[in-house]
Amino acid sequence: MLKLAEQCLERVKSIAAVLGKAQVKVAAQERGGGPAPLPRHRRVCSDEGGKLSPFLPPEIFQKLQIAEAQSARKYGGLGPGSWDTGAGTWEAQTQRTLSLQRQMMENLVIAKAREETLQRKMEERRLRLQEAANRRFSSSVALTPEEQEQRALYAAILEYEQDHDWPRQWKVQLKRSPADLSVVSGLFSCLLSCPEHPISQLLRRLQCAVYTRLYPAISRGPADASPASPSPGGRRLRASRSLHCMFSVPEHGPAALRHSQSSTPLADSSAPGPAEPPEPARESSFEDLERFLASPEGWAPADPPASSGQDTALPELLKGIVRDIHNAIDRLLALTLLAFEGLGTAAGKDHLTPALCCSAGPARHLRVCRGVLRHPGRPEPRHGRHVSAGATESTGREGRCGACGQPGIGAPVPVATMADGPCCHSGADDLLPILSYVVLQTGLPQLLSECAALEEFIHEGYLIGEEGYCLTSLQSALSYVESLPRGGEVIL
Amino acid sequence: GPPSSLGGGGASGRRRVSPSHWRGGCGCVGKTSLVLRYCENKFNDKHITTLQASFLTKKLNIGGKRVNLAIWDTAGQERFHALGPIYYRDSNGAILVYDITDEDSFQKVKNWVKELRKMLGNEICLCIVGNKIDLEKERHVSVQEAEMYAESVGAKHYHTSAKQNKGIEELFLDLCKRMIETAQVDERARGNGSSQSGIARRGVQIIDDEPQVQSSGGCCSSG
Repeated sequence: MLKLAEQCLERVKSIAAVLGKAQVKVAAQERGGGPAPLPRHRRVCSDEGGKLSPFLPPEIFQKLQIAEAQSARKYGGLGPGSWDTGAGTWEAQTQRTLSLQRQMMENLVIAKAREETLQRKMEERRLRLQEAANRRFSSSVALTPEEQEQRALYAAILEYEQDHDWPRQWKVQLKRSPADLSVVSGLFSCLLSCPEHPISQLLRRLQCAVYTRLYPAISRGPADASPASPSPGGRRLRASRSLHCMFSVPEHGPAALRHSQSSTPLADSSAPGPAEPPEPARESSFEDLERFLASPEGWAPADPPASSGQDTALPELLKGIVRDIHNAIDRLLALTLLAFEGLGTAAGKDHLTPALCCSAGPARHLRVCRGVLRHPGRPEPRHGRHVSAGATESTGREGRCGACGQPGIGAPVPVATMADGPCCHSGADDLLPILSYVVLQTGLPQLLSECAALEEFIHEGYLIGEEGYCLTSLQSALSYVESLPRGGEVIL
Repeated sequence: GPPSSLGGGGASGRRRVSPSHWRGGCGCVGKTSLVLRYCENKFNDKHITTLQASFLTKKLNIGGKRVNLAIWDTAGQERFHALGPIYYRDSNGAILVYDITDEDSFQKVKNWVKELRKMLGNEICLCIVGNKIDLEKERHVSVQEAEMYAESVGAKHYHTSAKQNKGIEELFLDLCKRMIETAQVDERARGNGSSQSGIARRGVQIIDDEPQVQSSGGCCSSG
């Protein structure tokens, strides 16, 4: 089993390395002013990952977002503005010949008239679309602000679709194969990579709103990781705690996290400094994990005078933000359903939320988990094999964790016999120990928060299937690692 | 037929799993073999990964209703016992497997029954399964004792052999029927009680293909 676990670990590492590289690449690209295909604030943060305060003030966040959106903007075709440039060119030519001037005057008149017609038509169209939107929301008696907003957005979408052809093409495709998940996800990536579309604009606005609310909580900087008194429920993945992590850690990025952890005054000189390359001994990451786990309230504000009030305010704030995010998802969903009626079929709807959430990110991590789990083939025949002290030596690792004296993975692991006899597959009996091992070895403390975020925001459709099983198993492994007594023996 | 409407409301959108036990010593009770036999008709196939052996699905048609059964395996080791609730909190049914040649594994089943009843009440359909009836000669748990116990806790008792593919279809089919019934009773009860939009978020209803899960639990243990 150890071998199998090692394989898993390798896999995790390679995936983590790939992900890390990708992030670095993106960050570099942004520094160089390169175009970012999708406006996503995670990148914005990773850009700042190495600095002390990685969080940008909301205004800058918004500006970056807009800049990204604009850099991604691809504009073609003739708008009303092209008439102006045309007129300017003509103006230069008028000085050459009289006849040309006359012509130009005529042209100008025509152009002006056309422009007026165009404007009138556009106005008419807007009104017509507004009416269409009104018809769509027939309960026009007492509109809540939300309904009004939705109506306005719907009108904007209609208008957008008059100017652009691609939504129609997608609709046709959707009609042709309503149950095809790839069409739905294709539509979504197209939709979200088009910053002009009202839906992506709404998404950006909502992202911005959430970020603005979140900013005060995270801008206080990495909190000290000194072990807070563990509350009685602290062993489990509690809601409040997972909320803490959910937001701070993923945005923080691994580099910043390590930094924050190691800059704490915990008595351990071997902790890697922020400047060290991300290659330091594995023990340190294990340490990080340990510390992280040891301080459930690790993200409490570092500022003592303010902390008493904020300690209670923060979870409340975060809860509110989570609610906001759910609302935002609902709104986006409703709007998207309005815009693409084809998605309203049962099959489409089922796929919609996953697709929406996919585009929001977390599902990628789920796939990572799955990749890890899927990879290892069954190792050699292992009937009645005892994997224990001897076998673990092959890992070549020290037996004890440098920080807490807890035995590391290399310590004799009494993996008793598994799957004895030819009759058994051991399924979860193997899976959970392997996952626990992997969790410890990867030293990625943000796994905890990633899981919490996944559970909070992914669609039910995922939770019930294989993805959900993977997530649950990983959470179990995390809970198990968490529940290990400090200084006790790790039994995997 | 139309997809069955097991989804019901509230928290039932997500159902799943259960436990199993495992103890050092030799061998296991064969819960994974049971599920593999049922879903893949494979026995002792070496090409199945750990994950593949842990999560399996089966499509069924019961009374014209399409049912998608998701079977979650859980680790049986004692030290993971506390994690059980993470797995089984939303499950509709559980299969607790013991090895008829192993008295101890039967005791473990009893512990699981206690816990599941305590945590989930009567909402969960329990099946107690004596596996390895191909080893009838080495039986250490008497049929009478097992059946009496199952009856006393409102569970059904089955005998199976994953090796010989005996009793497995019946077990799962029966369990599915019971889970559907329970879900429908549940739904009706809820239907009377009007609004439940408050709890709806966690259990978003799945309109198509609602999987209903259940577990393969059971112990894996033997002396």
